[in-house]
Amino acid sequence: MKNMTKDITAGAAGRRRAASGDPLGPNSEIGRKLKQYYDELVSDHVPDRFAQLLSQLERTEPAPKKD
Amino acid sequence: MTAVSQSFKTDLLGSIPSLRAFAVSLTQNADKADDLVQETLVKAWDKHESFQPGTNLKAWLFTILRNEFYSQMRKRGREVQDSDGIMTARLAVHPAQHGQLDLKDFRGALEQLPEDQREAIILIGASGFSYEEAAEICGCAVGTIKSRVSRARTRLQEILKISGEDEYGPDAISAQVTGSNAA
Repeated sequence: MKNMTKDITAGAAGRRRAASGDPLGPNSEIGRKLKQYYDELVSDHVPDRFAQLLSQLERTEPAPKKD
Repeated sequence: MTAVSQSFKTDLLGSIPSLRAFAVSLTQNADKADDLVQETLVKAWDKHESFQPGTNLKAWLFTILRNEFYSQMRKRGREVQDSDGIMTARLAVHPAQHGQLDLKDFRGALEQLPEDQREAIILIGASGFSYEEAAEICGCAVGTIKSRVSRARTRLQEILKISGEDEYGPDAISAQVTGSNAA
């Protein structure tokens, strides 16, 4: 129970990165939330209407040349 | 007009999740977003010849989607929000509790940003575009994107009452806690 001194240096390094590096990087709360927000949107189920739309567009265009 | 290649169609299909995410970020409305994506796909299909193979298709599509969004807004007679506008009065939101920021609060805060700032911070912080690519998508200078991202970030911090995140990030806090325990 005494060896709880882990990662103090890692914390300091993280602090330096947050202060000097990418302001929207993984050490930024805003940066993390932004990615979480966006990833949730990206992983949302895509409705069938879009695949249908593309098939429909394909049908209405002139047939592709064979060679 | 030459036929749309199979690979172009496949790539279009593959881009839909990102396009929808960007569209929701812009419109803040799922139905409007899907209509916008539909318009974007039709436009992209019609002008597929103007896409240069080997260049960034996602950036090309985002540009079309963004132009469509702003032209629809103009048609509806809505003024595009100005970043330096009068949003400050609406800024108050309850502070994040225990330093843990709720995604719902974050969404609400994002919604309060002017469109130009919101799109900039999304393109840079979430969609993975470079400042140069984002500038091209938005048709503005790289410096403009940088300043919009920076203002967006500052405003989000204000709305969410995250103060001095640089000095007091989670890493710093855990370091302090473990540090004092160890001493």
